[in-house]
Amino acid sequence: MEKVGIVGYYQVKMYSDANYGRYEMIFEAVRGAIDMAGLKKKDISTVISCTNDYYDGRTISNCFTVEVGGGYMADESKVEMDGAHAVLYGLMRILSGNHKLAVIWGGSMPSCFPYHSTRLYETDPTWERQLAYVNDITSAGFQMRSYMEKYGASAEDIAKVAVKNHKNAAKNPLAVAEAQNSNITIEDVLNSDIYADPVTELMVAQPCDGVAALLLAPERQALKITDNPVWITGVGYSQDAYYLGDRNLYESKSMEMAGKIAFESAGIKNPQKEIDVAELFESNAHEELILSEALGFADKGKGATINSDINGELSINPSGGAISGNPPCATGLIRIIEAAKQLRGEAHGYQVNNAKKAVASGQIGMCAQNNIVFVLEGGN
Amino acid sequence: MSEDKVIVANRGLVRADFNFWVGRYLDKFYDNLENKKVIGNKCTKCGAVFVPPRKVCGECNVVIPLEENWVDLPDTGTVVNYTITPYRINDRTLRKAKNLLLGMVQIDGSNTSIVYRLLDLEPSEVKIGMKVKIDWAEKPKGDPSDIKGFVKV
Ligand SMILES: [Zn+2]
Repeated sequence: MEKVGIVGYYQVKMYSDANYGRYEMIFEAVRGAIDMAGLKKKDISTVISCTNDYYDGRTISNCFTVEVGGGYMADESKVEMDGAHAVLYGLMRILSGNHKLAVIWGGSMPSCFPYHSTRLYETDPTWERQLAYVNDITSAGFQMRSYMEKYGASAEDIAKVAVKNHKNAAKNPLAVAEAQNSNITIEDVLNSDIYADPVTELMVAQPCDGVAALLLAPERQALKITDNPVWITGVGYSQDAYYLGDRNLYESKSMEMAGKIAFESAGIKNPQKEIDVAELFESNAHEELILSEALGFADKGKGATINSDINGELSINPSGGAISGNPPCATGLIRIIEAAKQLRGEAHGYQVNNAKKAVASGQIGMCAQNNIVFVLEGGN
Repeated sequence: MSEDKVIVANRGLVRADFNFWVGRYLDKFYDNLENKKVIGNKCTKCGAVFVPPRKVCGECNVVIPLEENWVDLPDTGTVVNYTITPYRINDRTLRKAKNLLLGMVQIDGSNTSIVYRLLDLEPSEVKIGMKVKIDWAEKPKGDPSDIKGFVKV
């Protein structure tokens, strides 16, 4: 794959209720990324936005973000999935050879809309949506139970992931305040309220307000803009069947496939050895284990045995992952930004030593039906 | 950030109710539910039996003809997964006192599972692998609510 570089990024501080305008947030993120790269509005040649009409309460909602999102009198298109999917679209725009700078931004403000109700619109209107038993809350419970039953994993194994991510979030200044907890214990997680048994509230990446933006440029351009680009060396993307009842919820076949494609493209033969940092979009703590296993970081059912702490054998979600803040349509994009920070040595307070190669993932759908993963490398 | 949050709510300004055409496969399925019968359909290639029935097997990428490969199934099945939640999806701010117990149930003779309530059971009684049967609605209407839930056999 031709080299495409990440040349700038910006993420707003995440809040459970930001109490300021979404459009201000979008402008802050996009302008912040442009400023970081030392560029001007006129340098933007294409914009890919990532929002969701249901989350925005409007249709073709990107027509309202033209000015704040850098799309004014520019080429612009929208992705209605996760921000990580928007990065794939932006990457394709750059690889087309027609664009010198792509802005990718994504985010939403669930403090202003009923998040779980809107997610119900993902379900089949002719079957499951009628009774609403299948939704993002219950599917989390099914997925964790399936993982525990299949591999004999314990609730403690899962709680450990939540503890790590809350502790890491405490080091991440942009994390949601409610997720920052350096004193949290496994017992705290297990004793928190039931979300969907066996998932408890503290295992959940709770939706919050936030927007993030990223800049991509082709190699030549990237080297003109920055001395410290991060290269996208591989990307893979796949999705599993729609109905939960058709799938093995204890594994992620789609992430396995996505990882295989991405690692092949990046020339990575042993991800467990070669990857230094992984920023994975885990909707719930147990998904970090399922996705890690799918990416080959551990055998199936053995995800909990990885030392995934900051500077452990493979640092997973040093930023705190999605548990540190989960702004719908931004979460996967933030994973890519966090991985880029690690490779540029800019993850102050939670920097992984000598991070050279990273993966970052995004997802959509119940039980991570659809997964996308990027391989990123630092240096030029 | 300001101290006060001024909100303009969208209440009743727009109302767009959708009618979804269920398609010929689900239509046949719902006609059978109305008569308290479960049917599925079988992939012509891999032999997987789907509940609810569908036109295409994703794994094999083949069409299952509408006219054939229907399978009559019993109203019994196995609990393959379950969860318990105090939330009702429309209102997560309000934790309802009563927990909702939901199971993924594989109807005997099928390869997929469906999500319904597990009725007349305490959460502590639920075991994966447990045999259950459909508790039918008194007056079936030919829609998903014809199955009230599953009860222990
Ligand atoms: Zn088949």
